[in-house]
Amino acid sequence: MGRSPISGGSKEATLDDVVAAVPDGATVAVGGFGLYNAPMALVRALVRAGRRDLTLVATPGSLAPDLLIGTGRVATVCCVHIDFGPLGSAPSFRRAAESGGLRIVEFDMLGLVAGLRAAAMSLPWFPIPDLGTDLPRVNADWYRPLVTPAAPAPGAARLLAVPPLAPDVVLLHAQQADYGGNCQYLGASFLDVLLAQAGKTVFVSVDRMIDYDALRRAPERTRLPEFLVDGVVHAPYGAHPTGSHGVYEWDESHLGYYLEAARAPGGLEHYVKMFVTTAPTPEAYVDVVGRQALRDLHR
Amino acid sequence: VRGHSVEELLAVVLARHLRDGELGVVDPVSPVGAAACVLAQRRGRWVSWLAEPLGALDSRTDRVLDLADERLIGTATAMLDLGPTLDVGLWRRDFFDFAILDALQVDRFGNLNTVCVGPHATPARRGPGVLGVSAHAAHARRFMIALTRHDRETLVERVDFCAGVGHHRGGRTRETELGLPPGGPDLVVTPLGCFDFHPESRAMRVASLHDDVTLDAVRAATAFDLVVDRDPPPPTEPPSDEELRVLRLSVDAGGRLRRTG
Repeated sequence: MGRSPISGGSKEATLDDVVAAVPDGATVAVGGFGLYNAPMALVRALVRAGRRDLTLVATPGSLAPDLLIGTGRVATVCCVHIDFGPLGSAPSFRRAAESGGLRIVEFDMLGLVAGLRAAAMSLPWFPIPDLGTDLPRVNADWYRPLVTPAAPAPGAARLLAVPPLAPDVVLLHAQQADYGGNCQYLGASFLDVLLAQAGKTVFVSVDRMIDYDALRRAPERTRLPEFLVDGVVHAPYGAHPTGSHGVYEWDESHLGYYLEAARAPGGLEHYVKMFVTTAPTPEAYVDVVGRQALRDLHR
Repeated sequence: VRGHSVEELLAVVLARHLRDGELGVVDPVSPVGAAACVLAQRRGRWVSWLAEPLGALDSRTDRVLDLADERLIGTATAMLDLGPTLDVGLWRRDFFDFAILDALQVDRFGNLNTVCVGPHATPARRGPGVLGVSAHAAHARRFMIALTRHDRETLVERVDFCAGVGHHRGGRTRETELGLPPGGPDLVVTPLGCFDFHPESRAMRVASLHDDVTLDAVRAATAFDLVVDRDPPPPTEPPSDEELRVLRLSVDAGGRLRRTG
């Protein structure tokens, strides 16, 4: 399932390539988990480009879904868990949900993983047990009754069929890659590999580029081989203010600033102007946040 | 070491409730579950717990960290691959002996809501979402519910959205109507007391009350009728100096459980 490089052998891509691959109305999946490994540089590019009516497939996340929702980029969110963990709830997501202005397709981990697996395996559906929750009631499209050849054994749960969930574009963050698109993780990779297997086009931001020989010295770190990757964007601190496993910790004061801004009426606009609009490149973003502040996040 | 936060009390009570040989999974938002597991280990109990987002087993840090924090990797006994973590952690029955879960709402039969208060389309309060609660409530051999609030908005007659099944509609309906394995919640800890479930009706029952809490106060803060076998109920055994010392020195040295509570 080789993918065609963006230009002759190299899979180096730019933020413009990412934006061009995401038309209005596209289904976009964002990787990482909670406060870690969110592809924030790619997400900020989508916000800047003013993409609209996106369907967001959010793996358990924090700032990435909250910023996309708060800036009005998202019409529908496939939600499994959106929260800032120790810092509290997601303000833009909550406001949008509580005003009824956001279509929420409710998932649990079973349903999300089953849908991604069905897409990754070219199956019409993937089975999950019916666990007696209200998910089939509010999300009948994705939690469908499964008629099995044999009646369920006594004491067995009914089964549900989850159809394939194949995002048009998958946005991920890894710590390093070579120019051919082999991506390495220096910590956990969460659901990223499954997302890449399920998606049609995959872009990965990385904190640093390394050469092929260096990459081959630690092949066990290459969780995303180039055949799963369409483009790699070199974006130092590309996950900031979320953390990048093995490189830098999440930025508590920056996230606190975001949360304060997003909770106040009109506050998010100011945040976006400061950290998204006026910082159109990864380098400009580093300048706005401040090199010393970023260096302090290294362990 | 007099005086303790609500979250410290919850962690101590939950740690006492874990048994030798058990493998557990904990809620990713509330820090109480992971603290309870590590506290039980540090007090000599032979229990294991999984930081599910990472696949990290039995991480030994002296502070309570986010369950996706990379420092849990460097101190773990094992790092499980994602596939097996999902296959057995979500799909398989009885893989986890216990789960420690949090919720926006809990009802009379221990069903959990982490999604929304009010109608799903126009909620009065939106919660974070289901995550693994559905699977852990259904599949763990038993689960415990740790709440940092006890009021009529939290302990409700019936959850507005069922994200995780407890004892369903009471009795054995969890098994007979839904085909789920036996199990369900066996302990609820709140800032006011400890609660279990009546063996026949599976309705929530007062097990013990914390210091200076009256039955009237608990009833006033609960939106359904609690089963009361003993009036007055016994007091919750308060955290001992030793429990608090171990908790503060080698489980939660960063003081995360003291910051909120």
